[in-house]
Amino acid sequence: MTMLLDSGMDLTLRPMRYPEFYERFRAAIRNTWTVEEVDLASDVPDLAKLSPGERHLVHRLVAFFATGDSIVANNLVLNLYQHVNAPEARLYLSRQLFEEAVHVQFYLTLLDTYLPDHEERVKAFAAVEHIPSIRDKAEFCFRWIDSIGSLHRLETRADRRAFLLNLICFAACVEGLFFYGAFAYVYWLRSRGLLSGLATGTNWVFRDESMHMEFAFSVVDTVRAEEPSLFDSTMETEVRTMLDEAVAAELAFARDLCGEGLPGMNTADMRRYLEYVADARLARLGLPPAYGSANPFPFMELQDVQELTNFFERRVSAYQVAVGGTVALDEAF
Amino acid sequence: MTASSTLAPPAVDQLRELLHRHDLPDTDPERILALVESGRTARADAAELTGLAISAAAGLIAEEPAYAKLAARLLAARTADETREQGILRFSDSVAAAYAEGLLDPDFAGFVAAHADALDGLVDHAHDAAFEYFGLRTLTDRYLLRHPETRAVLERPQHFWLRVATGLSDTVAEAAALYRRMSRLAYLPSSPTLFNAGARHQQLSSCFLVDSPRDELDSIYQRYTQIARLSKFAGGIGVSWSRVRSRGSLIRGTNGRSNGIVPWLRTLDASVAAVNQGGRRKGAACVYLDTWHADVEEFLELKDNTGDEARRTHNLNLANWVPDEFMRRVEADAQWSLFDPKEVPELVDLWGEEFDTAYRAAEAAGRAVRTLPARSLYARMMRTLAQTGNGWMTFKDAANRTCNQVGNGGGVVHHSNLCTEILEVTSDDETAVCTLGSINLAAHVRDGEVDFATLGETVRIAVGALDRAIDRNWFPTEEAGTAHRRWRPLGLGVMGLADVFAALRLPFDSAAALALSTRIAEEVALAAYDASADLAAAKGAHPAYPLTRAAGGVLHPDHWPDARPTRPEAWAALREKVARHGLRNSLLVAIAPTATIASIAGCAECVEPLVSNLFKRETLSGEFLQVSRHLVADLKRLGRWDAPTREAIKRADGSVQELDNLPAELKALHRTAWELPQKALIDLAAARAPYVDQSQSLNLFQASPTIGRLSSMYAYAWRAGLKTTYYLRSRPATRIAQTTVSSNLIALAPADDSAVACSLENPEVCEACQ
Repeated sequence: MTMLLDSGMDLTLRPMRYPEFYERFRAAIRNTWTVEEVDLASDVPDLAKLSPGERHLVHRLVAFFATGDSIVANNLVLNLYQHVNAPEARLYLSRQLFEEAVHVQFYLTLLDTYLPDHEERVKAFAAVEHIPSIRDKAEFCFRWIDSIGSLHRLETRADRRAFLLNLICFAACVEGLFFYGAFAYVYWLRSRGLLSGLATGTNWVFRDESMHMEFAFSVVDTVRAEEPSLFDSTMETEVRTMLDEAVAAELAFARDLCGEGLPGMNTADMRRYLEYVADARLARLGLPPAYGSANPFPFMELQDVQELTNFFERRVSAYQVAVGGTVALDEAF
Repeated sequence: MTASSTLAPPAVDQLRELLHRHDLPDTDPERILALVESGRTARADAAELTGLAISAAAGLIAEEPAYAKLAARLLAARTADETREQGILRFSDSVAAAYAEGLLDPDFAGFVAAHADALDGLVDHAHDAAFEYFGLRTLTDRYLLRHPETRAVLERPQHFWLRVATGLSDTVAEAAALYRRMSRLAYLPSSPTLFNAGARHQQLSSCFLVDSPRDELDSIYQRYTQIARLSKFAGGIGVSWSRVRSRGSLIRGTNGRSNGIVPWLRTLDASVAAVNQGGRRKGAACVYLDTWHADVEEFLELKDNTGDEARRTHNLNLANWVPDEFMRRVEADAQWSLFDPKEVPELVDLWGEEFDTAYRAAEAAGRAVRTLPARSLYARMMRTLAQTGNGWMTFKDAANRTCNQVGNGGGVVHHSNLCTEILEVTSDDETAVCTLGSINLAAHVRDGEVDFATLGETVRIAVGALDRAIDRNWFPTEEAGTAHRRWRPLGLGVMGLADVFAALRLPFDSAAALALSTRIAEEVALAAYDASADLAAAKGAHPAYPLTRAAGGVLHPDHWPDARPTRPEAWAALREKVARHGLRNSLLVAIAPTATIASIAGCAECVEPLVSNLFKRETLSGEFLQVSRHLVADLKRLGRWDAPTREAIKRADGSVQELDNLPAELKALHRTAWELPQKALIDLAAARAPYVDQSQSLNLFQASPTIGRLSSMYAYAWRAGLKTTYYLRSRPATRIAQTTVSSNLIALAPADDSAVACSLENPEVCEACQ
């Protein structure tokens, strides 16, 4: 029987080996959104209200967003698509690639709106080279992209482990930690009634990223079921080291963003939050926690609860795309 | 520790003193202080500390709802400080300060100055305790008057209530009665009234219904201007586009072909988005289209988020104005014809048998642009509802058959409003207007019963205030003023029905709930009509009264021969009174969605079940968490309100159906809108319909809609005689990973091959995922 990481270009959808991946693909399509639906109008006057410290935080944040999704997309194309060998999984990855592109478009639009000055925009996009706290995070990602850059077939056990580490890195550290850290700043701002346009778009990005992460973890689960021996204590050690590095990089970013601290947001709380999130990623991988921190941000609780939007005020993001069936007059409802 | 040593002691002591002063049960001031210490900056001043304390308390509401009261009191205290610093102590100070800044009407300010002592004596700040945090936050951020430059608050919440009450009254006694109801959150006028009562432009109305532009360029552009003016002063717009020719129709002046209605609606879309309602909220409009209009299919695609952006309108809401003939053909699986209104202009102004006859004649004469299976169009309507929540189903013939303004040459109802609860006649030179207010039913429960006597009194006070608002109202367009003064319609609604059911332990789909809900509607209608007849006796019937059905002795419940009023003797007495004096108002009852005012009052929205036992509210002032207080009370009684239960409810998206060991009675009582049979919601609406002479903003809920279920549901609603329905609410297909639920508690669902295969092969019939 062939396994998910066996090399090749499997084209057979029936019988389907991994229907779960196909279901994830379908669910993702139902959640299509477009950048035009996000209303950034109220953000511009909000920007003028920010204190210098808050403005610094927002500018750094959008500078990170400007390049983050492109990096994820690159890894998807260069590595994931190549090695996850099931057509239904590649359907999902194709969809994910589209979503990353929409996110890039969203943050591009955001930057163009937030930074009317041409020079500032250019600087923001160059942040990945000039701003150390952002550069360090990017370099962390590039290192993991390159770690399997020369692999074209996963022949050996070592190859497969290297691939899994790349996959876990992008799920647990990049999407699951760097992005989650960035989202927390957005929701902190929103909890103070600021930048609701950014928060609305981020809600949708967040929803997408959650699904990307879950997909990657379900690939990990599948490989683990197929090849349990790949998951040994060496792997665990490597994952823990990787997460430690990611937390450190994100914490350096937090120090840059928060400076001396802002009302309701500071480096100490952010550290606890990142540790809490990192523990959640470890738990998802079936590993014991590394930090034992509790979530310090009550505003993140809001994120877990369904929204009820007054249409006078915001667009409702909850509607589904794609619905099936034919007219009937006697179904139960 | 380092934090407290650097903290200026007076500031933290003040905060500690403030927190302990409001020593509420189940709250811990020291916990708030600890959170403040952790979140504060080194240079924190008193204002920052209070701000952090409010956020900290608000953040704990999901864990312990009592913190909502604490957060509200901290916020009220801050507002009190802010006004005191400006020398504003009494109500009359607040009005004088706002008047000096040019925010208030001179006559109003004069009235307050003349009766300063009597009015100041009415204010009781103790009523601030009625607020929950979310309500007071909304009020403070968006409704309280602010200094134009400094943005400092110029009034305290109780000053605000009294300002609105006084702005709607001719005498101090009227103001006192109204203030008493509002300060106890028992009756709330709608947002435009709250925004503008006593203000320079007293535009108090919520709803405007603008007739379709005539089929010509000048008329279309005139409508844009009217709609922009109406929108600027906080009104929601309903407008029909059914008179405008369809795509491909000949334009004689240029010998070209029309592009149909979509390009015009794109312009309307941009115009609506551009108008900001006094900086307080964006404009909003709903476009109605008759189901026979040849552009109806393109119309239904206007809100899709795929396809050609040049044919999309993301800001507009959409509604179908559906004739019975269409629904009959859906039932019969027959063909349906689409027409160009330029070719068949008479259809727009016809309803009932006259419409049916004209429609069939036009078909027979071969004037249809196109014919298609009625079910194919109906399926398209259902798809739009599922995908966008929009494309509301409203029923033209039921609306006209029962409208008091229709009948004796009064006119025709051509469409509804932004929230589908207003049904009034319109024409090219009459824009229908409605001023709304809603009674908080939750505030009328005493000792486990609805206090009908007090409810009737509240209705009378509300009708008086709504009627006086008509004479004070400033109209942004002449078409609106003309119509409003002739018909004097009111839209008195209710909210908090779900709270009443919960307090009386009645599941939404129980027979007792249906009987009580209908009785409430009957009592509201009786008291409202009685009050309007009394006003007619005192001030005269409304000018267009002779054109109404009431003038011919027909009252709204008469259109429902099956209705069984519980108080026939009261209705008989009312009929005599109406025959003697007429009515001051052509229409009185409309059940509006009440989104914002229900949140101010801290009650459930209008007649709707709770969407979740635990949900967040997203508004312009940020996001807030709400927990069903009824559920928390029940769980506390059982000793079950603890962290694991909260996590379980959160994991289940606010549902308690999977909670272990919860008594079945409580599970039934705390079902969410997603878990109730929608038939029950429609039956409740249909049973109260005889007593709602306008209509109801009835949302329907389907977590994973299918065409089959939706088409059955809306056909049932039509057969039940509903005049209108509102949003179809559905849920996101995928969701955000929960960040604050311990992930090791999320069981990794073992792959169930049979279920997966079933949904793959036959997604529509598989019940596993619905």
